[in-house]
Amino acid sequence: MSQNNGMDRRQLLRLAGLSAAGLGLTAAGCGSGGSGSGGPVTIRHSWWGADDRAKKIQQCVGLFEKKHPKIKVKTDFQQYPDFWKKFNTQAAGGNPPDVIQNAVTFLRKYEAKNVLLDLSPQVEKGNLDLGGFRSGLEKFAEIDGKLLGVPVGSNSMALVIDEKVYEKAGITPEIGWTWDDWLAGLQKIKSGQKIAGDAGPHGVMYLYDLILRQNGKAFFSEDGMGFGEAELLPYWTEALERVKSGLYADPGKVEQIKPASATAKGLSAGEFTWDNFSVRYSAEGRSSYGLAPIPSTDGKKTGQYLGSLMLSGTARTKHPAEVATFISFMTHDPEVARIMGYDRGVPATTAQFEAYQPADAPSKAIGAYETAIADAGVLEPITPHPAGADVIEAAFLRIGADLALGKTSPKDSVKQFFSEAKTALASN
Amino acid sequence: MTHIHTSPGELDAGDGRSVAKRNGPGGNAPPAAPERRNRRENVAGYLFMSPWIAGFLFLIAGPMVFSLYLSFTEYNLFEAPRWIGLQNFTDMFADPRWRQSVEVTSWYVLIGTPIKLAAALAVAMLLAQKRWGQSFYRAAFYAPSLIGASVSAAIVWRALFSDDAIVDRTQKVFGVEVGGWIGDPSMIIYALIALTVWQFGAPMVIFLAGLKQVPRELYEAAEVDGAGPWRRFFHITLPMISPVLFFNVLLETIHSFQIFGSAYIVSNGSCGPADATLVYTCYLYEQGFVNSRMGFASAMGWLLLVAVGLVTAVLFWSQKRWVHYEEGGR
Repeated sequence: MSQNNGMDRRQLLRLAGLSAAGLGLTAAGCGSGGSGSGGPVTIRHSWWGADDRAKKIQQCVGLFEKKHPKIKVKTDFQQYPDFWKKFNTQAAGGNPPDVIQNAVTFLRKYEAKNVLLDLSPQVEKGNLDLGGFRSGLEKFAEIDGKLLGVPVGSNSMALVIDEKVYEKAGITPEIGWTWDDWLAGLQKIKSGQKIAGDAGPHGVMYLYDLILRQNGKAFFSEDGMGFGEAELLPYWTEALERVKSGLYADPGKVEQIKPASATAKGLSAGEFTWDNFSVRYSAEGRSSYGLAPIPSTDGKKTGQYLGSLMLSGTARTKHPAEVATFISFMTHDPEVARIMGYDRGVPATTAQFEAYQPADAPSKAIGAYETAIADAGVLEPITPHPAGADVIEAAFLRIGADLALGKTSPKDSVKQFFSEAKTALASN
Repeated sequence: MTHIHTSPGELDAGDGRSVAKRNGPGGNAPPAAPERRNRRENVAGYLFMSPWIAGFLFLIAGPMVFSLYLSFTEYNLFEAPRWIGLQNFTDMFADPRWRQSVEVTSWYVLIGTPIKLAAALAVAMLLAQKRWGQSFYRAAFYAPSLIGASVSAAIVWRALFSDDAIVDRTQKVFGVEVGGWIGDPSMIIYALIALTVWQFGAPMVIFLAGLKQVPRELYEAAEVDGAGPWRRFFHITLPMISPVLFFNVLLETIHSFQIFGSAYIVSNGSCGPADATLVYTCYLYEQGFVNSRMGFASAMGWLLLVAVGLVTAVLFWSQKRWVHYEEGGR
């Protein structure tokens, strides 16, 4: 590699020359487009996800361009971690895409850095329709009176289970079941079915948030951590014991099948994740998969809330009206719902919710699950996620995995986690 | 390794000016004319080089100086860098993950480089002898160097060393039940080392060139004196190729310190499990681009530069003791 440096530099230079030329061209293009001559306006949209999501979004974009011939949408997508690395660099360089897919852990981070567009003026101008959202979801990304995103679909945490294993073990999870019931189930599965009951929940921040919320706390407070070492140490100590006793899946094996999921690959009978992720299980695995409710501490409170992916505009966009028009289209058009299905959760607006009637079993299960938890009245408002929440989520996942692999003691893991959380909160 | 023998044609071709003088229109012109032409040629030369020089200044030297400044600041890409003096460096030494990254990288360099060079030298010695199909074998052994650093090779590596894949099954045949290496924090680093050793083709070719330079007479004389193969290796081959060996050690060591792609991909972008493949650049990348701590990442980068510089200096200093240059070679 080092021998080729000269070559690489030359290539880089050539690339730089080309991109400089390209910049000149786009600048020229912008100049003519922005002069108000009424020519087509181009906005850039990027998101994270796999190929199938890209295909669906591309279809929606085609539809949008047909209905709005004066707006062109240029698209780009990556996998989740790569998406944010790229977006961070683009935003820092002052050249972010005009519309991005967004998640709650990133809201405050980019709000603090003035990266996100406040969409509320566009609501007043009538470019963005905020009517017809289910269960108050339109407020989901409202921070300090600013509208920083519009939800595309609701999701909620769930226990994805291998239905065949649960059935053979004779366990039927129901709303209102407790952590003790769940644990008894794991033991039954382990002794009867010779498989780990769970993939190991100790690194899943969103689940631990629910457990804390069941006990009157939360993962985050407005500007920091909502819990301390006293809560986490027993949780992780217990997790390590369960890994060792085989109640949770072999972490070395879980590590190797990534990015596939442990339950789909037959390493465990279940795992906690977002309900809309369950669609991919039937594609990845051989069994049939279903959604079970989140266990509770007291038999009632699950701590759940409706989460959602969002579409956000970026503050530096030259075309806020077109951005709003696009977001409005993506969240309200019934045709979009029929194309997207439950890929990004159950559609956030009633119009889209009613337009798409799932035909496949996993999607039907997601719809039924969200209706069931809404009817059971367990949904509560979401607690805040401060700037740096994304880094802390990644640290929780990584340190949780290290712990399970027996690399660090629970005590050291807890210490390491809080030290990294402190750095993340300070530097973001 | 200099050649005393020079062909007559090369004598005047070595001096560009004499050639220019002879070929120019005014062969007997006063000396000022070629000088002016020289200056013009210099200008032309620099003009042709200017894209490269500009590239070096703006894409390499400039960013380097800027990153040196950043290493004394806290910088999250969005807000202006804030001067914090040496705090990035003190934070680094207090950070257990940074220490882990140093440990993993040192381990990788200290184990991987010698094995790779030993393999390269051994195969080079086999291939130095005239045998049937020699060119084919040379090409075959060199091929991994061309593709080994690629993303696809790393992906294949991940597949090879997973549970129930070929390595695991082969182990089981011999009764070794350790499972796939990829999921095992204590084994995965050896999968990475295996990947780098597999790419021994580049140093091998250099060794081959070195071996060809060793005069046959020395071996013949030693054989007459009754020296066996080992003696010949340690007393003739090794000393005679020591400059080449030095070059390879230097290059491979520097190269190994910079490992990133294979660790990142074999671990599926996590540099895990349990930070077992958290090589230095992987941690640098994570701090800079995932955690937005560009100041810290810059400080790490500069420390790596200093460390590699020190190692290089030590190697250069040590060569007095073990590298033998032929007279006039240096």
